[in-house]
Amino acid sequence: MTKRPTLFSLILSMPLLVWQLMFFLSPLLFLVTISFWTVRNFQMQPDLSFANWGRILTRGVFWDAYLRTMVLATAAAAITSMIAFPASYAISFKMSEKAKRWIIFVLIIPFFTSYLVRVYSLQVFLSDAGVVNAALGYLGLGPFSMLNNAFGIIVGMITLTLPLVILLQTFSLNFVNRDLIEAAQNLRCGRLRTVFAVIVPSAKVGLVIAALFAFILSFGDFVSPLYLGGGNPPTLSIMITDITKSGQQWPRAAVVAIMMIITLLTVAFAAITYAYRERGK
Amino acid sequence: MKVNAEMEQQSDPIVKFGNVVKRFGDFTAVEKASFEIGRGEFLAIMGSSGCGKTTTLRMLAGLEDPSEGTIYLDGEKVNGKATWDRDTPMVWQSLALFPFLTVQENVEFALKMRGVGKEERRQRAEKWLEKMQITEFAGRNINQLSGGQKQRVALARALVTEPKILLLDEPLSALDAHLKVRMQSVLSNLQKDLGITFVYVTHSMSEAFSMADRVVIMSRGKIEQIGTPEEIYHEPYNRFVAEFLGSANIFDGKILGPADTGGWQIAYDGGETVLPQNELPDAHPGQTVTFIVSAENMRLSLPGSDQSGIEASVVGEEFIGGTAMVFLETTTGQELKVQKSHDELSLLNLHAGSRVVVHWAPESCHVLIGENV
Repeated sequence: MTKRPTLFSLILSMPLLVWQLMFFLSPLLFLVTISFWTVRNFQMQPDLSFANWGRILTRGVFWDAYLRTMVLATAAAAITSMIAFPASYAISFKMSEKAKRWIIFVLIIPFFTSYLVRVYSLQVFLSDAGVVNAALGYLGLGPFSMLNNAFGIIVGMITLTLPLVILLQTFSLNFVNRDLIEAAQNLRCGRLRTVFAVIVPSAKVGLVIAALFAFILSFGDFVSPLYLGGGNPPTLSIMITDITKSGQQWPRAAVVAIMMIITLLTVAFAAITYAYRERGK
Repeated sequence: MKVNAEMEQQSDPIVKFGNVVKRFGDFTAVEKASFEIGRGEFLAIMGSSGCGKTTTLRMLAGLEDPSEGTIYLDGEKVNGKATWDRDTPMVWQSLALFPFLTVQENVEFALKMRGVGKEERRQRAEKWLEKMQITEFAGRNINQLSGGQKQRVALARALVTEPKILLLDEPLSALDAHLKVRMQSVLSNLQKDLGITFVYVTHSMSEAFSMADRVVIMSRGKIEQIGTPEEIYHEPYNRFVAEFLGSANIFDGKILGPADTGGWQIAYDGGETVLPQNELPDAHPGQTVTFIVSAENMRLSLPGSDQSGIEASVVGEEFIGGTAMVFLETTTGQELKVQKSHDELSLLNLHAGSRVVVHWAPESCHVLIGENV
């Protein structure tokens, strides 16, 4: 069934269309355009050259960074989702309505402070002489190297995405039909088994979308890889800044950025298709 | 509680409630419920919303634990026993089918939870899909089925483990009238075929009375009457039940003394009448009595005929299938209901405001005794 948009609905959606055209679609087209330009004497010149694409896509350094970013973002999304789920479950199923409202408010507080500030403070915690290693030292453990490596990056990404993932998971669990849970238990499904047999499949759309958000935010994150990961070896976002700094290679940076956008679109499309897939004919 | 002589006293009931109380905070949902359910019996629990009927069913399913009293299920005390340790499958009002599973997987669910092997699971589920005539939908998604088809899936899912008892919580309330009647006969036949116990919660008198062997009527957490549909209809135990059934006229009166024709002479608001001796075995003059006459036992005459009775005027009428319910008001303001066939009414040529005389045969009266008034 197709609906013809009315004039009124077109007028209402104009601001969104104009905004997206000006600040999303046209910069994107510009990005694609400059990926074919060339740089001479540190100056960009319009051109139709495939040299940038050839140069980036044949370099092992790019693919190493691509794989590294992919693994880090996937791990961050998976770990965040797993840490978040018991909390979301407790908020949605075990708390009173009043407690729920408070906890949702508390979960929004981290968004009040800049992510950069939070990451800087994490440096204090995670450095070799930092708070965590000092505490572990009392127990006769460590020191463990937690900064300038993948561990530090993932801690930063979890810090970035955890509150959002808990919020999204909680909202989706709130919509799980309580009758289904009782029905499963009535048919001899134990409490823990009900979580995996009924609650997770019922809330699948929300859980997948929460994980997708964690992946998208982590994949493009620049702050954690730089300040907690040390920036070397680079992730794709760090690679972009490195390329622009060295010799004004904006066209090559554009190629990396477009590859990131294509990856995110593919992952998002696959995740949403999976989330909404129904069983049966 | 009225002990019914005709009720089969089973020596080995499948369910036994002993003084069961359920409180939610300050609110008492079920108050001292005691009753038994026989093996193979179709029992309906009926009442308006909030009367405690669903709570009673949920306690039997193990979804609520009683605050006081004992529940025996198949000879075993089940207080505190979780629903997943009981064998009391339930059919939900919302049906509660799993939308993320196919029809076949829904039916197999309880078998899977019991660790039944894949091949056996498939065979047993297929047998029930066939029995419920939904084999062709086995691979479908639940959301693609009609209301009646979903109903059948819910029954197959609950019955696939072949339990001794099936609990049903208003499963037909979402269906249209035609489908409802069809599903009623499906349920009745199924229960007779399987020979297992059905406990059916409903607010609908027509559902309860057309399917159940016995009906429990509840109001505000208390059981008002237990009996066969005929007993409840013809001999409502108290004023609540009579009013709940909706087709009874209730009169309050006083015994004047023995009548010339036998029985007792009664004075009531609308005049005098005679109540049969057997309805009032140990009564005495001066005693107050409450008696009811059901709407279909009321008779109408036009004024001027020599028939004595209560004078009343017509307020209006309501069609009920092949009959009509005539609403009347007496000169003292009491409302009366009379159910008559359309043919009979057309002879009287009634319209709003018409004056009529209402009367009945003494033997069609039913007397409420003592504290049941």
